[in-house]
Parts: sequence; C-alpha cells; structure tokens
Amino acid sequence: MTLLSKTFTVFGSILLAHACYSAREHTALQSPRVVTAAALSSSPAAGSVSLPVDIIIETIVSTVLIITGLVLGTKPLRPLEWRVWAGKIEREGAEGFTDGSGKVDRDYVGNPFSVLESRPNFVDIRRQRREFAEWSRQKEKFLQQGQ
Amino acid sequence: MAPSFLYHPVQLSPAAALELAQTAPAVLKSSPSSVSSSPLFSLVGGPEKSEQWIQFENLILACLRTGDDQAARKCLERLVSRFGADNERVQALDGLVKEAMANNNGELEAVLKEYERILSENDTNIPIAKRRIALLRSMGRASDAASALVELLDFSPTDAEAWSELSDIYLSQGLYPQAIYAMEEVLVLAPNAWNIHARLGELQYMAATASGSAANGSHQKHMAEAVKRFSRSIELCDDYLRGYYGLKLVTKTLLSGEDAKTPKQTDEGGFALPDRSTLEKLHELATAKLAEIVRRAAAKERGWRGYAEADVAAARELLAQDTSAVQR
Repeated sequence: MTLLSKTFTVFGSILLAHACYSAREHTALQSPRVVTAAALSSSPAAGSVSLPVDIIIETIVSTVLIITGLVLGTKPLRPLEWRVWAGKIEREGAEGFTDGSGKVDRDYVGNPFSVLESRPNFVDIRRQRREFAEWSRQKEKFLQQGQ
Repeated sequence: MAPSFLYHPVQLSPAAALELAQTAPAVLKSSPSSVSSSPLFSLVGGPEKSEQWIQFENLILACLRTGDDQAARKCLERLVSRFGADNERVQALDGLVKEAMANNNGELEAVLKEYERILSENDTNIPIAKRRIALLRSMGRASDAASALVELLDFSPTDAEAWSELSDIYLSQGLYPQAIYAMEEVLVLAPNAWNIHARLGELQYMAATASGSAANGSHQKHMAEAVKRFSRSIELCDDYLRGYYGLKLVTKTLLSGEDAKTPKQTDEGGFALPDRSTLEKLHELATAKLAEIVRRAAAKERGWRGYAEADVAAARELLAQDTSAVQR
C-alpha cells in the first residue's frame, strides 16, 4: 500500500467513525425532545426524525474516501491476455511479479512450461554433478588467477 | 535475489544451485525432524504446508548437484519419515540419491536392478519408470532408453514431459523426423506453451540444415514449418527473444538461399513457404524487435531485466553479423 492510499483509507475511516458518533449523539439528544413534543401536540407525524444533512454527506464522503484508498492500494492487476502475460514473464522475470514491498509473489514460477524442457523427472544427476564440479573448478582457477 | 524454492533446481545456474544448496542446513534446522500425521498434531501445530515438502525435494536435487551428499540424505530422511519409504515419489528420490553416489558401473547396475525389481512388483510406478529411463540414458544406452520410453508412453500417452524427453533422445541420435513428431505430441498436450513452439521451430531448423535434407527435398518443408512455429511462438508471447531470434535466423537463411526465389508448392499439401515479400517483412520485424530487446536489456531498463544475459549476447552477435555484412 502506498502512502497516498493509506492516508485516504485512514482519513476516510476517521470521518466514518465521526459520522457514526454524530448520528448516535443526534438521536440520543433528539429522542426525549421528540417524545415530549409528541405528547404535547399528540400529532403522529412528528414521530419520525431525519438526520441532519451534514451527517449524511459526511457518511457518503467517508465511504467514497475509504473505497478510493483501498482501490489505490491494490496490487497491479495481472494481464488478462495470454501473450501479454507470457511476454511479461519473459521480459521482466520475477521482477514483474512483486507486490508493493518488492517481494516476489509466492506462486511465481516463471514460465510454467519450462518444466517440459528441463524435464525434472528425467534428470541426469550424474552429468549435473560432473558439470557442477567442472564449473567450480573453473571458478577456483579464475579466482586464483585474479589474486 | 535468492532463488525461490519453487523453482526446480534443474533449471538453475550452477551459482544459484549452490546458493540454494547452502540454505539446506538452515532449512533442516528450522523444521521439526519428525512430523506426525495424526489429527491431534495438526490441531496443535497448525496446518501442514505442502510447500515444505516441495522445498525438501528441491533441496535434495540441489545438494546432490553440488556434491553435498550428507544434506541430501538428511532431506530424504525427512521425506521418508513423512510419506514412508514405499511412496512412489520418495522411491524415485531415493533412487536418485543412490545414482548420484554410485562410484562405478557396477553400483549403477545395482541401482538399475533395484528399479527393475520395483517395476516388476508394480509396473505402473511412473516415477521409477522415468528414473530407469534416465539412468539408461545416462549410462549411454540411449536406444534402450528410447524403447523403454515408448513403452511407458504406450500406457501413459498424456505425459507431456515423457514426450519431450523422447524427442530429446531422438534428437541426440540424429533422428529428426521422430524428434519432431514427439515434440508435436507435446504441443498437442500443451498447445499454448510458447517455449515448446520455439523448440519445435529449432528442431525443424536443425532438420532443415542437417546434411542430406537438401538431397531428399525436405529442406524447404522443414524451413516453412520452422517459420510457422517461430511465428506462433511470438504470437503467444510478446517480446519473446528466443522466438524472434529463430525467426530472424530462418528468414535470413531463406532470403539468402536460392530456393526463396522460386517458392514451389510442397507436394504433400503441407504448409507452403510464404512468398519473398512476406519473408522480408518477417525478417525486418524480427530484426527490429531483436534490436529493441538488445538495446533495452543492455541498458537494464526497468521491466526489461528478465532476459538471460547469454541470450541477449547471442542476439547481439546475430545482429552484428548483419551490420558487418552490410559494411562489406
């Protein structure tokens, strides 16, 4: 979540809480007066009391603010089209599939079809060991030359 | 960046595999040595994570590759204590560890005998059947491996990995038509796999440039198929370096050759070679795209850092051949 979206959400929440509190206070203060007024005039129409318009506006504005904050804070949406998604994997690698804090998604595995070429169940482990030993030998030699 | 443990270590570079293998002691230490599968335990200890076991599996492969046999054995013990020694996947991993530690041919033969014994008890044990094929191939008995693989595919024809392995075995023996057929089967099972389309294009190109193909007239057919496959791979994947590389290579060969001037219909009613102007357009497109990819990947622009360095270098070399030809 970016700072902007957090600010929006927090500010909206405060406004919403304030609107709720105002509405509650308003009804608490109004109801005894209404009851007495109704008893005096004995007219049935005075029984319903509407909230002041500023509380209503505050509620609506705060809801819109919270929603805006949450929408701004979502992760970038993944591409819908196959070729765009595939291109993203090839072009950006793991970097393209991070959340806001730069951590790679847990389910990111690169090209899901690459196993059809690496074929892990048929791995020739002896050749891999030889290749790795060769690689580390060359690395050592390279390091020795560097010294 | 540390390699994700979900990556299969087969595809990792040696350096990344070493990095992964070096995390083994920490992982072994941080996870409990024995896991009970009783419902009481899962109530107390929270849900069991399936990723943990994939992690152990990948650690075994990485440790074996880097020669850390001890850690590999410990990881295997964890898997055995969780899933039992008669689990098919654990059996295959056990065989893998034994293969890696075998010092001479006799020990390998013993491992092979062990596989055959397991298969005689249960011949639908696919992981062990695959290990047996891989071991046969590793021991240099490629034709035995191919026939065993054909048998496996007889009763498990939807195994894309096995078809791909079969294609690779045939390719190593120089049997291009068979290799292409097997790779086409992979495409039937995974029609959207852009790398398999590119791979098939490469196979077609290899078949077309192999000696003897010009004589029997299949050269043009293979080249036409290669154009088609590479085009499909870049259709499935934007900015696919491998696909554009292949497309450029094939169209360049076609444009410089004689046969492009007289495109003749293939007699089998297959895919006919596109005419010269289309080929030129494809070539231009591939060159432009490759140049863009090389330029932006070399500048390490944001969003263009996913390409392997070796791939970019190869593309740059291919482009350099072009410019040197123009200068001459």
